[in-house]
Amino acid sequence: MTPANRTSPATLSDLVRNYTTGTISRRTLVQGLAALGVTGSLAGAIAARPELVAAQATPSSTEPAGELTLSLASSLEGIDPHGAFAVEGSTSIVITMYLDTLIARDPETGDLIPALATSWEATSDTSWQFTLREGVTFHDGTAFTSADVKASLERVLDLEGPLAPLWVLVDTVEAPDPLTVVINTTEPMGTVPVNATLLFIGPAAGINEDGFWNNPVGIGPFRFVSWVPDSELIVEANPDYWGGSPQLERVVVRDIPEPAARITALETGEIDFTYNIAPDQLPALEGNQDLAIDTTPSYTYYFNWFNGQREPYTDARVRQAMAYALDVDTMVTELMAGVGQRAQAPIPTTVFGFAPQTPYDYDPERAMALLEEAGYPDGFETTVQWNPGSGPQDRALIQTMISYWDAIGVRVESLEKERGLWIDDLVALNWDMNFQTNTVRTGDADFTLRRLYTTEANRNGYSNPELDEVLVASAASTDQAEREQFFAEACRIIWDEAVGIFPIDLIANYVYQDGIEGFVPVPSQVPEFDTVRVPAED
Amino acid sequence: MLRYLITRTGLSLLVLWGALTIVFLAIRIVPGDPAAMMIGPGGTEEDIDALRTRLGLAESLPVQYGRYLSDVVRMDFGDSLWLNRPVASEVFSRVAATARLAAAAAVIGIAVSFPLGIAAALKRGTVLDGLISIVSLLGQSVPSFWLGIMLILVFARQWQLLPSAGSSGWSHLVLPAITLAMPLIGVLTRLIRSGLLDVLHEDYVRTARAKGLSPRAVLANHAMRNMLIPVVTVVGLQLGNLLGGAVIVETVFGWPGVGRLLVDAINQRDYPLVQVAILFITASFIFINLLVDLSYGMLDPRIRIQ
Repeated sequence: MTPANRTSPATLSDLVRNYTTGTISRRTLVQGLAALGVTGSLAGAIAARPELVAAQATPSSTEPAGELTLSLASSLEGIDPHGAFAVEGSTSIVITMYLDTLIARDPETGDLIPALATSWEATSDTSWQFTLREGVTFHDGTAFTSADVKASLERVLDLEGPLAPLWVLVDTVEAPDPLTVVINTTEPMGTVPVNATLLFIGPAAGINEDGFWNNPVGIGPFRFVSWVPDSELIVEANPDYWGGSPQLERVVVRDIPEPAARITALETGEIDFTYNIAPDQLPALEGNQDLAIDTTPSYTYYFNWFNGQREPYTDARVRQAMAYALDVDTMVTELMAGVGQRAQAPIPTTVFGFAPQTPYDYDPERAMALLEEAGYPDGFETTVQWNPGSGPQDRALIQTMISYWDAIGVRVESLEKERGLWIDDLVALNWDMNFQTNTVRTGDADFTLRRLYTTEANRNGYSNPELDEVLVASAASTDQAEREQFFAEACRIIWDEAVGIFPIDLIANYVYQDGIEGFVPVPSQVPEFDTVRVPAED
Repeated sequence: MLRYLITRTGLSLLVLWGALTIVFLAIRIVPGDPAAMMIGPGGTEEDIDALRTRLGLAESLPVQYGRYLSDVVRMDFGDSLWLNRPVASEVFSRVAATARLAAAAAVIGIAVSFPLGIAAALKRGTVLDGLISIVSLLGQSVPSFWLGIMLILVFARQWQLLPSAGSSGWSHLVLPAITLAMPLIGVLTRLIRSGLLDVLHEDYVRTARAKGLSPRAVLANHAMRNMLIPVVTVVGLQLGNLLGGAVIVETVFGWPGVGRLLVDAINQRDYPLVQVAILFITASFIFINLLVDLSYGMLDPRIRIQ
């Protein structure tokens, strides 16, 4: 058993407050008082009339205490925030602990809020200026300056990892003075602020050194302590964090790849926190009094693309017929209980730029009529490629969709591919249909719509000058209301033209020991732990 | 003896070279590309080509192979594409974790199967023999992922005696070691039983009995020693398998072993890491087999090398 938490040296006011709120027992209070040198009748008196002391006690939240052990939903493959794994869920959670970004998202409202930058503005069509927070230091004590921002962004571009496409329009990064950064772009780029929520800052002096990322110096609410791949990663509170010290003294991130073992570890108290529990396991945990479950609609959704360069998907009527053939409501109730909901647009409801569309209601007759109109009265044969493990119930969903399509005469072969092969074929457009989940990492429609649906991106063979125009305009705009309108238009075109079928948005779940406080469920599935508190131990 | 060792070492190097070459080619023939894996589904073909060039993967196969062999000869195994650390130290720490697990499993396997096998042979045809047969058959046929999860459910969830997953202390070793030992127990018990039954009908055992030795002495000094050769052979082969093939058990119990590392590396198309992990596993296999061959001479003077 890992001790879930640890009693740390407390102040008198902490002790008394915990006692009056019922967090600690009288025995723990007296022991704590003794540790502070308060014994005998004085200790007895405090225990009997805690309100006298409590009235004096200021709420102190600066003393980090306790340890939280959590298990990731998938193995942690890297901790480099600029490299190949930068947008993987597990990596994102860990780098958010020990690093920080220029701009953050308010976990409750989703609004952009200042982090390492205190303000930002577009100073011209093609340049953005950030003013940095003064007096922030990295965990080794060196001061945070504009040079670190410049080096980090340049590293993202050099490494050509999954974040690089977000910044392709960047021309130069300037650091005119230690607290000012200017990002110049080749074309107007309205997404600089949202993309900055994924730009983690490391110290310019180290990030390009060999071995730096095996033991990185961070700047976030927790300091990096150690990482043993496939085993565990440890971080400790950074009491000097600019946003205030985290409440936890230590976070241990354990790797438990087997879902049954992970859930057992949660039930026995070996771990305190985990997330992304599969729908078949969720009901069992809901009945457990010792656990709390938070859910929230996420940034992740399922989609089934059609290859717009291949017959018969060059015809919108065929694509629409495939959509009308599916009874999505039944799929959601029978397969995705608690973990998914019917999608209303090509991007989830939680994402900036979401605009609800007319649903494709289950109508096999209409589907067959559309096929006949398109010249396929007897249906056709086709394939769908997918990579197992993409999301919950992926196999069951594929099988269900195939049987619905079969009912309108479309015979679909399932091509289950190993990840490496699947990516190769995906990029090469070597598929008829492609089924997968996707996560809108930035929470902004640009990440998905503009990046994936332009003719230039050519990710699914679909090409539509009207859509290109809207998306290019959306990228250039820096006015949020205007961007929202562009994305609404893009949602409508993609949905009505059935570039893909967008059946289900996923619901994130977070499960933890009852008594843990201060946790905020977020749609990004990248929860933060600096406000989380564990109950003091009796 | 020395000459034998030299020949064996030479042959071992040949086997290593063969394994290296096969792995080098196999992982490059498999579809999927390390550069595409590193960039992820969001990358364009241009990005991927640029990264391939930077990683040295754009060169022709013979050039890559030649450079690779010369690096290996100089013991320079390179950096992992995926973890971005030196491959050799990463693999070494994982081999150590797996070796710990394999050794514990071997100890459990031997400690359990000898008493079972001997009892079954001596009480041949009884109910006890039947029960032991069933146990050994189950041990061989129960899939390890199922057994592992059942052990977790019983010992970690139900009785809360042992931790469910992880690798930090001795208590973490128990369940995976038992899971890994089960097939070994199955094989060894049957082997020991049948080996003993064969030997017990040999003339020299009858002679030993006739000269008045106690049953225990007959068993320990005459019968056992002569049935050990197949047992040692199988233990050696199984240990080799445990080193490379513990991946399922390592995954179920979250054990940071070389099997998982190898599977992850294959999934990431991390060529240097795959190559070195296989090199290590092959070398361990060869070394264990060498020990097994040398032990034959100690067990049976008739095949002692001149």
